[in-house]
Amino acid sequence: MKLKHLMSGLLALSLLAGCTGGIAPSPTPSVSQEMEAHNKDTFAMDTLMSFTAYGPQGQAAVETAAKEVVKLDQLLSVTGEDSEVWALNHAQGQPTVMGEDALALLTAAQALGRATDGALDVTLYPLVKAWGFTTGSYQIPGKDTIAALLENTGYDEIAIDGDTVTLPQGMEVDFGALAKGYAGEKCVKLLREQGVTSAILRLSGNIQTIGAKPDGSPWRIAIRDPESINNSDYLGVLELVDQAAVTSGNYERYFEYDGVRYCHIMDPSTGAPTQNPLTSVTIVGPSGTACDGLSTALFVMGRDRALEYWRSAGGFEVILVEQDKNVWITPGLADQFSLKDGLGYTLNILEE
Amino acid sequence: MKKPSNRFWALLLGGILLLCVAAGVYLYTRPAPTVGPVAIISLDGEIYDTIDLGAVEEEYTFTVTGKIGLTNDIEVAPGKIRVCRADCPDQICVGQGWLDTDFIPIACLPNTLVIQVVDGEGSGIDSMVG
Repeated sequence: MKLKHLMSGLLALSLLAGCTGGIAPSPTPSVSQEMEAHNKDTFAMDTLMSFTAYGPQGQAAVETAAKEVVKLDQLLSVTGEDSEVWALNHAQGQPTVMGEDALALLTAAQALGRATDGALDVTLYPLVKAWGFTTGSYQIPGKDTIAALLENTGYDEIAIDGDTVTLPQGMEVDFGALAKGYAGEKCVKLLREQGVTSAILRLSGNIQTIGAKPDGSPWRIAIRDPESINNSDYLGVLELVDQAAVTSGNYERYFEYDGVRYCHIMDPSTGAPTQNPLTSVTIVGPSGTACDGLSTALFVMGRDRALEYWRSAGGFEVILVEQDKNVWITPGLADQFSLKDGLGYTLNILEE
Repeated sequence: MKKPSNRFWALLLGGILLLCVAAGVYLYTRPAPTVGPVAIISLDGEIYDTIDLGAVEEEYTFTVTGKIGLTNDIEVAPGKIRVCRADCPDQICVGQGWLDTDFIPIACLPNTLVIQVVDGEGSGIDSMVG
């Protein structure tokens, strides 16, 4: 009898050992059906957009969002001949009736233009064309050409009267610095209306998040290393909950001539690509439209003016990266950002 | 018929015990099965090919042709992939460089080509700005 007891005990033990061994290699907990991920990829606004929403409403919500960005692209495209922006830019100084999205963007563009003292100007399209950024046939226009084209710029000269907009003859607007941020913000609204509480919208380097990840942890967003030629190399990771993040960098579209880099971000005061030691500007805040516009505006301003603006305006957080590999971060983000080791960057936390 | 002795049971159960322990030790200590990194290449919204980048030993190049006739030359190297030449007008796909992580795809809009890397271990990063 004793032997039998011993045997049963050992058998039970060995089975237990076997069981433990069998369970061990599967570390991932099973995701609850209720917070399943739903994905939708779509090409719009000259880029690949990728939306992920969690929960039972997720699939319908990402489908709606994808349709919305395609619709916004058709309305806001500067090159699509059926767009409202095309109609406005080719109205020869005549009033044009615009839809609510274009009106909302024009209003936001003017407000951001005034707030940033003209560092964001949505009327620079003729200059963007003259430098070849629309076609990739880059050239350095003559001083006279630039001066003549600058005559026809100025966000304050866009006349908005109800739903009717009039541009001075020769002026052209381009929402390149705002449209993806606006689209992301609008999609966030649509997703929330459908009851989504956890989602991440990737609009080509322009991120909008709803809530946290289903497990309650923040979204982890890499910030591109401006010094690397590979798009997937990053200098650090930012943790976000319920916020938008947008980066403008001098590496996105540029050409080099005589050792000088000419990037696609135009300085409205010179009519030429912005020249300063910044290599990228990331803005974090609740509004995708504002983040998008401010990332461009603060890049144009350069470090000192950008920080002065942040101190006076507030309501958003900033990460500035400079050529000398100094990273400047506002105190509100200090706990949310971690620098990647071994790349030679120095993290500087700014004072309020 | 003679009843099996205690010794018989002891040997039988002892054997089972040894097998169970051995199986347990094997399952517990074997390396977790890793997947990838695997590149998933989609063309016109359909999966065109999947490549186990971890199994690539020597670099090689191949060409994909989209439905409007544009081509991208794709270079595969150990653990990474890129578009090394394309006849699309904007060359954005070529400018994206090498891809070895799972949080950002390579996309060629004119040719509706998307290259995504899926990594068994995962980068722990959800997306990227910049």
